[in-house]
Amino acid sequence: MEFPEDVRYTREHEWVRADGARATVGITDYAQDALGDVVYVQLPDVGANVVAAASCCEVESTKSVSEVYTPVTGTIVEVNEALTETPELVNQAPYGDGWIFVVELADTAEVDTLLDAGAYRAFVEES
Amino acid sequence: MPEWRLIDDIGVDRSGAEQMARDVALLEEVAAGGLPALRLSTWRGPTLSLGRFQPDDDVDAAACARLGVEVIRRPTGGRALLHGADVTYAAVLPRPGGDAGTIDALYGLLAGALMAGLARLGVAATVGEGRGPAGPACFAAAQGADLRVGERKLCGSAQVHRAGAVLQHGSVLCGRFPFDETDLLAYPDAAARARAQHALASRTVTLEDLGAPADVPTVAQALVVGFRQTLDLRWRSTVPL
Repeated sequence: MEFPEDVRYTREHEWVRADGARATVGITDYAQDALGDVVYVQLPDVGANVVAAASCCEVESTKSVSEVYTPVTGTIVEVNEALTETPELVNQAPYGDGWIFVVELADTAEVDTLLDAGAYRAFVEES
Repeated sequence: MPEWRLIDDIGVDRSGAEQMARDVALLEEVAAGGLPALRLSTWRGPTLSLGRFQPDDDVDAAACARLGVEVIRRPTGGRALLHGADVTYAAVLPRPGGDAGTIDALYGLLAGALMAGLARLGVAATVGEGRGPAGPACFAAAQGADLRVGERKLCGSAQVHRAGAVLQHGSVLCGRFPFDETDLLAYPDAAARARAQHALASRTVTLEDLGAPADVPTVAQALVVGFRQTLDLRWRSTVPL
């Protein structure tokens, strides 16, 4: 199970990698493992305003349909179109090519309020 | 002892779309703090349910119209499933914390309840090995949540997780229509349809096939008892089965 140090995490098992005002979001290694083989990702709309902790898209695996919650508030400025043809990227590279969307942050400090790798690892190991 | 609502929608005259809306409403109720629920239902007529994101063009709309089949979309994933000769269950509960709340754990929990119910019908079902969808028809594609007898699927299930609540619904095959999913779905040619028909027939089994009780009231009652005993719960029921 991977817990990269360069991203922040939520208890809903999303990760965020901030680069200035842009924050890339995906689901964690733990989440993709729990979901099983991802067969479809319903991408959010570019331009949509999203609020932290609100559902913004869904991932279908061979086991379930599950919501993805945006960890941060802002505007969706990019989505990973590659997932339309190759949703399995979420399984293969959850912190890399399996990213789902990018949020233009309303408040760059919001990312710092999320869990760091150590805290997220502890949360997963306790649950 | 946890309390669940038991919702008896067996024989209720409701369209397929209304059936799905009922399950989604239950999911929203439980997410908002309502009691968990088991809803058992049958269908007004043959109804083809598609998975949440299954392409519309998987369906042969003309064939569905000719055979009087309503086409609906489930909130859960997976592939097309023909209802009407089945008993359908929907279990809705808050997602537990920790390991008990994982997808696999929830499937395991509810599989236990379903297997206990089927055992009351004299059917020894087991949980199938997980394999991904292999075609547009649900029962031809084995998934992790299947209940099988031998190598053949008797009960398929699917989950959706929203706002801290889980809906798992599924279908126990009681009998068969004169047609099946492969008569209602689009295939590139007759050979592909024939292959799909063979796969579906060889990978599914019904209670009638097994010589088990297959009448709806008996099946429904067995599931009610299986859930109550396995989950050690108490029913709050306004309409006793």
